[in-house]
Amino acid sequence: MKKRSGLGLILVGIALGVGCGGQPGGEGPEGAAPGTAGEDRKVTFYLVPKKKGLPYFSSCAEGARAAAAALGNVELIYDGPTDGSPEKQAAMIETFALKGADVIAVSPNDPDVVGPAMRKAREKGVHVITWDADGVADSREFFVNQATAQAIAYGMVDTMVRDLGGAEVSADVAIVTAYLTAANQNIWIEHMKERLASSASQLNLVAVKPSDEDQKLAFSVTQDLMKAYPAIKGFFGISSVSFPGAAEAVRQAGKTGEILVTGLATPNSMRSYVEDGTVKSVVLWNTAELGYLTVLVGEALATGTLSAGATEFDAGKLGKKKVEGDQVILGDIMVFTKETIGDFDF
Amino acid sequence: MDRFSKSSRWIALMGRNRAYGIFGLITLTVMVATAVSPSFLAPANVNDLLVQAAPIVIMACGVMVVILTAEIDISVGSMMGILAATLGVLTSPRHLDWPVPLAALAIMGLGAGMGAVNGVLVAFGKVPSIIVTLGMLTAFKGGTEFILEGGWITDLPEGLRFLGTGSILSIPISVGVALVVVGFTGWLLSRTSFGRRVYAVGSNQTAALYAGIPVRWVKLLTFTWSGFLVGVAVLVSAPQLSVIDSGFGTGYELLVVTCVVVGGVAISGGVGTVAGVVMATLLMTMISTVLIFLKLGENATYWSRSIQGCFILGAVLLDHWLRSQKRGWGRGES
Repeated sequence: MKKRSGLGLILVGIALGVGCGGQPGGEGPEGAAPGTAGEDRKVTFYLVPKKKGLPYFSSCAEGARAAAAALGNVELIYDGPTDGSPEKQAAMIETFALKGADVIAVSPNDPDVVGPAMRKAREKGVHVITWDADGVADSREFFVNQATAQAIAYGMVDTMVRDLGGAEVSADVAIVTAYLTAANQNIWIEHMKERLASSASQLNLVAVKPSDEDQKLAFSVTQDLMKAYPAIKGFFGISSVSFPGAAEAVRQAGKTGEILVTGLATPNSMRSYVEDGTVKSVVLWNTAELGYLTVLVGEALATGTLSAGATEFDAGKLGKKKVEGDQVILGDIMVFTKETIGDFDF
Repeated sequence: MDRFSKSSRWIALMGRNRAYGIFGLITLTVMVATAVSPSFLAPANVNDLLVQAAPIVIMACGVMVVILTAEIDISVGSMMGILAATLGVLTSPRHLDWPVPLAALAIMGLGAGMGAVNGVLVAFGKVPSIIVTLGMLTAFKGGTEFILEGGWITDLPEGLRFLGTGSILSIPISVGVALVVVGFTGWLLSRTSFGRRVYAVGSNQTAALYAGIPVRWVKLLTFTWSGFLVGVAVLVSAPQLSVIDSGFGTGYELLVVTCVVVGGVAISGGVGTVAGVVMATLLMTMISTVLIFLKLGENATYWSRSIQGCFILGAVLLDHWLRSQKRGWGRGES
């Protein structure tokens, strides 16, 4: 008797664990039956972030919702893994394809792991595009790119150079990145090194350290770097988690004004550091516009107004966007400063 | 002969408690790091190291008591996350805007309550603790996402930040709290009947039952204690940062269990001391700092995790060797 109730509890425990883990295939808010052709047939659009629950992706989703509302014929479902796992992301894409998606827009966590699921969806006739981060070329039709990797990386180095006082200032700098395997960050680091070595800067990169998307680790790594390399005058926090962690370490060490921190993050998480001067510039792109453009591109593919070979894309209120090969480019980076950060709330 | 027995006596002393073995390794590590970079022993760095170790020490004091009874609690990482998210929502002016002392009490109570749920399922539901706490690890993670709704808490009030960044009599609050928790846990385990019962349950549960020890209640209490301490750790560590994000505490369950086990607590229960666990935690938190101070160059970034693993293995092997020396010496005497 006792044994049986124990077993029951085990099953409950497992069900609890599994149930709360991935939430795979979470039904869209309206739970519409996609694929059922009606008179005003809607485009069923799945927007898949790397990780659900990051304000960065939530703010992109805001823009996507605005686009869906503006278009009127798009059923938008925003869903992705809550833990950033590429395996779960792949499983979710397969589920979405089975549920009759017309468009799936993915920010792949790991192009090689998610790629097969994306290809499978394409074989089923689903339009698959990537946004925010690119996938393997044959797994998607278009990549909606916020800004080229080079523009982002050069933008970060150039703001650091400017904020430190100009191209003739020489100082040590360090990078606090996300994971050592993060594809986006690694490309940026390559381009940052290129820019740092050029005549545009006299800055000397002394260390690149991972923070494993753990703010506390970013914090302690920055503390250690400041002490181990007393000549460091600048930190790059190149993920939305490592940036606030690094800035907090500099502030708590009382080095505000002596050591500058710059990087990529959403404005809300960096507001207090921009106000007290620990951070002079926050680099990002317009996340809402990225979500907006992604939905427009996906819808255009589904309705046949965009196809391979186009060189320009009419993005409605965003204006005309350049299409380079199979990439639709949103535009340039955005830099939030003390003067402008008050205008943004995300 | 004389010289031999002297050195073996020293080894025996070292082997009596893993704390000594780890202390030796810590001393060695500090010496190497200071030789390369003298600023390693600067007060500011020692202070940062202690602050970094404090929340892990606090949680390890809870998890070790659970492991002493031959159970395990691996839900602490996600529990940290859900409690930090709750703390943020309770105190942030944009959300509930509770007074900090009230929120602090709520977090400690909630932690104890979550621990008690683990305890009830293990002790009275007879579910293996690894399954209960593994399930909870995932459930709490989902709960964290639910509470934060895709956002982060970015407006923590100053009063709360003080818990994480403030000092009293120039001792950082987190370090002071950790000292109290270590002292209390040490006293609990070595000087009270509850402590003796914990060791008894872990050494031989059947014997403990026959001896009239309320095994189930002891287990329930250990899980509650573990949950309560997660609450305490969250109070002094989450406000260290200005942003509470959904990833807070991820992976800490493994770190805490590693510290406990490297600290000499037998995973099969019944054996282990607080001193060993504290030493192991200090060593574990030191390693990554030392690796940065050694300035091994950029490529070292890629294998620094392997070095950390080797350190852990080294500490345990050293301890094992010291113990076997002690045993040999003991046999020789008899």
